[in-house]
Amino acid sequence: MSQQIPPAAVLAEGMIAGDHWIQVQPEQIRATLSRLQAEGFTYFLFLTCVDHLATPLLQQPPQRFELVYQLRDLKQRREIRVRVFLPEERPEIASVQDIFAAANWDERETWDMFGIEFEGHPNLERILMPEDWIGHPLRRDFPVGGEPVDFSEDHETWQTAPPQA
Amino acid sequence: MSAPAGPMTEHVQGMTIQRSRLQGRDGDLLTVNFGPQHPSTHGVLRLIVDLEGEVIRGLKPVIGYLHTGIEKQMEALRWQQAVVLTDRHDYLSPPINNLAYALAVEKLLGVEAPPRAQVLRVIMSELTRLSSHVVWLGTSSLELGAMSAFMYGFREREKVMDLNEEISGFRMHTSYIRPGGVFADATPRFLEMLDAFIREMPRNVDEYENLLTRNPIWIARTKDIGHLTPEDAIRLAASGPMLRGSGINWDLRKDRPYSGYEKYDWEVAVENGCDCYARYLVRIREMRESVKILRQALDSLPPGPVNIDDRKILPPPREELETSMEAVIHHFKLATEGYSLPPGDVYVAVESGRGENGCYIVSDGTHKPRRAKFRSASFVNIQALEQLALGSMVADLIAVIGTADAVLGDVDR
Repeated sequence: MSQQIPPAAVLAEGMIAGDHWIQVQPEQIRATLSRLQAEGFTYFLFLTCVDHLATPLLQQPPQRFELVYQLRDLKQRREIRVRVFLPEERPEIASVQDIFAAANWDERETWDMFGIEFEGHPNLERILMPEDWIGHPLRRDFPVGGEPVDFSEDHETWQTAPPQA
Repeated sequence: MSAPAGPMTEHVQGMTIQRSRLQGRDGDLLTVNFGPQHPSTHGVLRLIVDLEGEVIRGLKPVIGYLHTGIEKQMEALRWQQAVVLTDRHDYLSPPINNLAYALAVEKLLGVEAPPRAQVLRVIMSELTRLSSHVVWLGTSSLELGAMSAFMYGFREREKVMDLNEEISGFRMHTSYIRPGGVFADATPRFLEMLDAFIREMPRNVDEYENLLTRNPIWIARTKDIGHLTPEDAIRLAASGPMLRGSGINWDLRKDRPYSGYEKYDWEVAVENGCDCYARYLVRIREMRESVKILRQALDSLPPGPVNIDDRKILPPPREELETSMEAVIHHFKLATEGYSLPPGDVYVAVESGRGENGCYIVSDGTHKPRRAKFRSASFVNIQALEQLALGSMVADLIAVIGTADAVLGDVDR
């Protein structure tokens, strides 16, 4: 299938536990998803973010934030995962909610929880947290209880930056 | 905002309505807040509705009132501890949530539950689907004025609760299905109770149908209401009865089978009505199919263990601790540190009563999740509400919310 996407766009491709994935450049996300949609991946499953802050992985991820788009082809019963890595300072990417309408709320949730900016989203505002909330709760440097917990198990990695008052 | 200029009559949901009846004050739209504390919003859903007379011209769901940060909390728990949180997002189908999580962990570990555990998982999933559907039937019909179906539905839900209690010790948040197998084997009493339940359930479904299927008021309130075309259903990624009620034959149990669903003989319930009534029919038929699966599962329940025999993942049996030093070490390691998953990410989806209940987990090689994300059916189906309700009457909004069957715990997680 990857011959359909411009080969330069696919940075890496692989299988993990039976799940097929590709990695593309952030600038290529709209082109990639449009191509995949035209190939039959018409069903948008979810979009989410993974924060790789202070990861113990030996092979370090290229950037702190990893966006994951999961698509499904209902006819051929196959799925594909598209990965994009975004930098720590000012993570932003083009919105795909006009390609996949179902991505609308997922993009709002990812903004709410991780602070990823989606350019071109008509209504990028908090969806789960209160409107006046400060910080992005699912980032790994956001403490679990909202306040620092001393002597907890993963103290160094978890409680590095309490949210601004 | 002024009302759009148009002809004096308008066709809404198959009815011709005089334009003058639709005019709000000075032709303006009236914005009404609906919820979050409203009994017919199935929890704490809030809708901001723009009304032109009684016709809905704008609808904005506001969610987050039940946000409990389950995904964040899971990152602070070990892989085997996090099971208890999965119970709590879709609180009407805890075993199915457990199953999605357990399958994801097992997929990344590369292990498979033993055959008896797989059949017990199917039994618990189908019981949960039944209890979720009867709660849906009861509450949705109550909202539309049919009181008796509520009483009948909760009668059966109580029996499923008793079955949950018998097999797991808990009535609601069972945490029964766990990575590597299930909590405990079914007791003989559970199997007897289940057999009795399967025998009487078809008659109970007949009773619900007698109350509603040909009831003129029920038909008037649901037929041609909340229209969702097949194209829109896919575009908005609706799942479960929302998708199958729009004529799309997609059921994860058939199309991406898990836990041995391919072994059972049953049919996917698909209706072409694309309206609330079609979604009702899909759920009723699914209840009958669930009973069929339950019967086959109970009859084919194989003997054997209900947990994988891997001491690196599950602790040894209690009696071994008294004689084996190795067992004590394994127990100690699991109790203090837990097991770690190989680095990587997987997505596993199972069919819940509401639709596609997916679990995406990311491991960084440690004993706690780096990220756990639930692709909840309710969250995505609620997103389609605007599409379903625009142009319909305000009273129909209740039917539309009802047949979307969202659990707000699942929406907000």
